[in-house]
Amino acid sequence: MASGLLATRGLLAFGFQYQHACRSVVITQTRHKKRWMRSYERIMAEKLKMEGPSPPKRRSEKPNWDYHAEVEAFGVRLQENFQLERLKTAFVNPCYVRTEQEKRGALGLDPEVAALNLKDNLELQTKGQAFIQGFLSDWVRASFPSLPAEGTAALVSHLMGPEVACHVARNLGVEDLTMSAEFPVPDEVLYSTFCAVVAALEESSGPQRAGLFLRDFLTAQLIGKDLFDVWSVVNPMGLLVEECTRRGLPLPEPRLLRSAGVSTVLPLYFVGLYCDKKLLAEGPGETLLAAEEEAARSALRKLYCYTESCRPLDFSPISPQTTSQATTTQQALSSG
Amino acid sequence: MTSRGTPSRFLKSVLQNGVGRYVCQLKRISLVFSKNAQSSLGARHFIEEGVVDFAKKNPGTVVYISPEPCRIPRIVAEYLNGTVREEAITSKTSQQISELVTKMANQSGLDIIRIRKPYHTDSPSIQGQWHPFTNRPPADGFIRPPGKETSS
Repeated sequence: MASGLLATRGLLAFGFQYQHACRSVVITQTRHKKRWMRSYERIMAEKLKMEGPSPPKRRSEKPNWDYHAEVEAFGVRLQENFQLERLKTAFVNPCYVRTEQEKRGALGLDPEVAALNLKDNLELQTKGQAFIQGFLSDWVRASFPSLPAEGTAALVSHLMGPEVACHVARNLGVEDLTMSAEFPVPDEVLYSTFCAVVAALEESSGPQRAGLFLRDFLTAQLIGKDLFDVWSVVNPMGLLVEECTRRGLPLPEPRLLRSAGVSTVLPLYFVGLYCDKKLLAEGPGETLLAAEEEAARSALRKLYCYTESCRPLDFSPISPQTTSQATTTQQALSSG
Repeated sequence: MTSRGTPSRFLKSVLQNGVGRYVCQLKRISLVFSKNAQSSLGARHFIEEGVVDFAKKNPGTVVYISPEPCRIPRIVAEYLNGTVREEAITSKTSQQISELVTKMANQSGLDIIRIRKPYHTDSPSIQGQWHPFTNRPPADGFIRPPGKETSS
């Protein structure tokens, strides 16, 4: 009763605040400690623990998303001129088209009325993959001319593999724009979207610009990588013998150069490989076999010119004057 | 907290940015502000004067403006490597917001924590890193501690 009287007075009694939404509606709120808050928070925490965290949402399902602006910005950010229609087609995956059609069918819509006007990126995918394969093989052969065919193939398959290509695609913002059935986008879908984007670039700006794009983003992932991290060689000594016979060099002879701490827990052996009495390479190891293997690897690195001290890869920008003269891959290759 | 207690990282770039071509790492920036509140005054001025210039200078960044009832106006920046950074711009002037937004556009999305070394190289040694056996003449037998040489 008394509180009712005080309420009509609109006073700050018992911590009540009043806001008039209009003349007849009064909203009350209390700003002090809310006693129900603790049990509510406890219940929500238990619910979270029981059900686990909520599944990740696509960026397009979160607020502030304008697809057309995003696609345009994607092209401008990479300093490439894309034909926007082709680029948008490149992002549409067949799994997405299938799920969309199923959803529309499930909604009971007439198929002709609610036809999905989206073309998927299957042909762009195959074109892009073929182009990337061709460009990367040419680039590796031009950058490392002494590398044999297996080495070239290993480097190309490393660069086209899911780890490197998907890592590049994720950090270029391709995942946000990809339209796929599942989220987070699985690696194969992301990889095929990336190939499709490269094909779209080739169609829009020509194979030269597409080659430069791949050189700048994909081949730069080789920086800091050792040859044998990328190419797993089981028998380096055998490979070295093959390489020496191919070049007409005498077969390498291993000799123990120095050893230290032989009777201790951590022995150290330095084995050197001699071709015709001249030192080819030396390598350290805990056992004689390990040291010989390491020496063989070191010798292979020297023969293939893939050492840490070799000339770094060339990423210099191409001036517009020379674009008209050189051919497609030659342009990108001549600088790297 | 000491540097051992706080997180730290080495100097690196996202995807070797700058080696091939430089890509602005900021992919979208959202400005959340209130239409009437006092704290969003600077944000409203920035939207009137400065945001279009910023968008023109950074054509690779998508700028979103969302007026909504909020007590704290903020800028949400999303970077290419997935990092999302939120900065409150309560009671900042238009000039300060413009500087902040330029600073965010120049950052990559890597964590703002202590950088252990201000340099990084992928080829630390050209002639081969020194180890105790470099330039040491090979010994005949096992390498032993010095002190066994006699004057004979």
